Amino acid sequence: MHGYGIAGLSVESDIALPGLIARPLNGEPPDVWIRQAPVPANLENPDASGPTWEMSGDRFLLRIPGIVRFLLTGGRVLAFAPEGPVEDVRAFLLGTAFGILLHQRGAIVLHASAVKVGGKAVVFCGASGAGKSTIAAALGQRGYPLVTDDVGAVSFDSAGTPVIYPDGRQLKLWAHAIAQLGFSRGEAVRDAIEKFYVEPREVFGEAMPLGAIYALREARPPIVPGIERPNVVDASLLLRRNAYRPLLVQRMGRRADYFYAATAIAGHAGIFHLSRPLDFSELPAGLDGLERHWRETGLTEKPS
Amino acid sequence: MTRTVWLASYPKSGNTWVRMLAANCLAQDGRPVGINDLSERSGIASARAPFDFLLLIDSGLLTHDEADRLRPRVYEQLARGAEDDTYDVPQERPPVRLVKVHDAYTQTAQGEPLLAGNRGADGVIVIVRDPRDVAPSLAHHNGTGVDQAIAFMGNPEACFCAKTRALTDQFRQRLLTWSGHVASWLDQADLPVHLLRYEDLQADAAGTIAKALDFAGCPVADERIGGAVERTRFAELQRQELDAGFREAPRTPTQGRFFRRGVAGGWRSELTAEQIARIEREHAPMMSRLGYALSGEMPTARRKALS
Repeated sequence: MHGYGIAGLSVESDIALPGLIARPLNGEPPDVWIRQAPVPANLENPDASGPTWEMSGDRFLLRIPGIVRFLLTGGRVLAFAPEGPVEDVRAFLLGTAFGILLHQRGAIVLHASAVKVGGKAVVFCGASGAGKSTIAAALGQRGYPLVTDDVGAVSFDSAGTPVIYPDGRQLKLWAHAIAQLGFSRGEAVRDAIEKFYVEPREVFGEAMPLGAIYALREARPPIVPGIERPNVVDASLLLRRNAYRPLLVQRMGRRADYFYAATAIAGHAGIFHLSRPLDFSELPAGLDGLERHWRETGLTEKPS
Repeated sequence: MTRTVWLASYPKSGNTWVRMLAANCLAQDGRPVGINDLSERSGIASARAPFDFLLLIDSGLLTHDEADRLRPRVYEQLARGAEDDTYDVPQERPPVRLVKVHDAYTQTAQGEPLLAGNRGADGVIVIVRDPRDVAPSLAHHNGTGVDQAIAFMGNPEACFCAKTRALTDQFRQRLLTWSGHVASWLDQADLPVHLLRYEDLQADAAGTIAKALDFAGCPVADERIGGAVERTRFAELQRQELDAGFREAPRTPTQGRFFRRGVAGGWRSELTAEQIARIEREHAPMMSRLGYALSGEMPTARRKALS
């Protein structure tokens, strides 16, 4: 049995999950169980469904043909039935499946990577390929510790401050980005694709307040590079569009949750558009712009 | 139910021009549609975003073949009216979804049409252009020499976005050879076909787009078409690109403009005799089928007049 901490939750797993740091189980029942177990091909009387998924009450079925079927129950049990090599299951388990499980638990789940800046979490969200992990990796090289990669769950502390948990995830980067940034490759995320785990990774830590959210978009004409602050209505849509699987926000009836979260986040931190070219040669200038923005918004000290 | 019609073409064959013309003909209130107003997310069939959105799976973790296995499911959903993104207000539904596609019409390894056959669309407008004009335009687009472009057009394994070391925002698109691409679409039996030649659009834009829109099931009044033709003249598209850039243009600045020449028959001054001969040798049957006279031949009308 393997123990991990993911998004502030204690997790007990049948299989080892690379990219995470093991955390000994302390004898208490875990928040989430990950089990290899039989998973049906369909659910009876689904409340909602798509070509690869079905939802019925507190059960959620996800099928990735030829790879794995997942059944998530009540945000507590994540069962998987491999349809191919079990090694192939892991990449989908930590991203796709765990992301949906966090939705079941009522979290605000973002498709995002985050780094720690001046004691707060700065979050970069965007679609796959938007450059979340690349920016987090490059900021790591400038001394900003990694907080999370790919999936980020925002919750609110007793004072209503939005917080995010570092969970010891390792960064995942494509071969091209690894070469461009001068990292060395760790284990493959999946043997069939050229995406690899790389150091650095963050150690476990307590929840830290959210400092800012940047939604990444490519600066292609007519969009020019820069940072903009959208109005609160657009910020709310932006948060929902960058949910880990926005369709689930709709189908699970959670639009209002995301609206209130956006309002709270906009009040405590800030929600911005970050537009920049995808070209690696432009990356340093983009990071300079971010550091300038952090000084201007008070996330870091202004140089005296 | 909104109809779905593919705008299928080999790259650099006038697809964007047709989309611009159609969008300007179909705009709800007749307002001008600029080059950066074309729908982005579902603007092309190979876009990744709708896949991840609808299937909930991170397509970036799939191999190209694994993604292809599931792509038909996305086209079925979209054809049935599924939204491809989350919005605050319901989106305006055009009378017909015209969706650009550069993929050749192929089958997945599981033996079903990648584009979901008649469950993915109601028909296809196949846009073709003289391959001798495609070659220099493709070379410009890909940032390669013309000889490389001609080799690409003759390579049955040719693909767009087939990288494996980085993630692109589009899926791998199998193009086949230029001839193979056109044949795959003209000869498939799942969807009704309307053939549109770039050269006919050059000669008579209004008449040619009118026929295509009739086929798509949304006839448009002549005066509307006239206005759309005016707003999408090549010089006007070039002006818009010069003014603000075009978000669908190649990313590498050295590759220059997307809207390059927009002429028919430019190959006569752009290709060497050897290059012309190679294209004609490799693609003669399909060129003849589409009415593109080989340079050794005289146009039929003249031949008749002389006999």
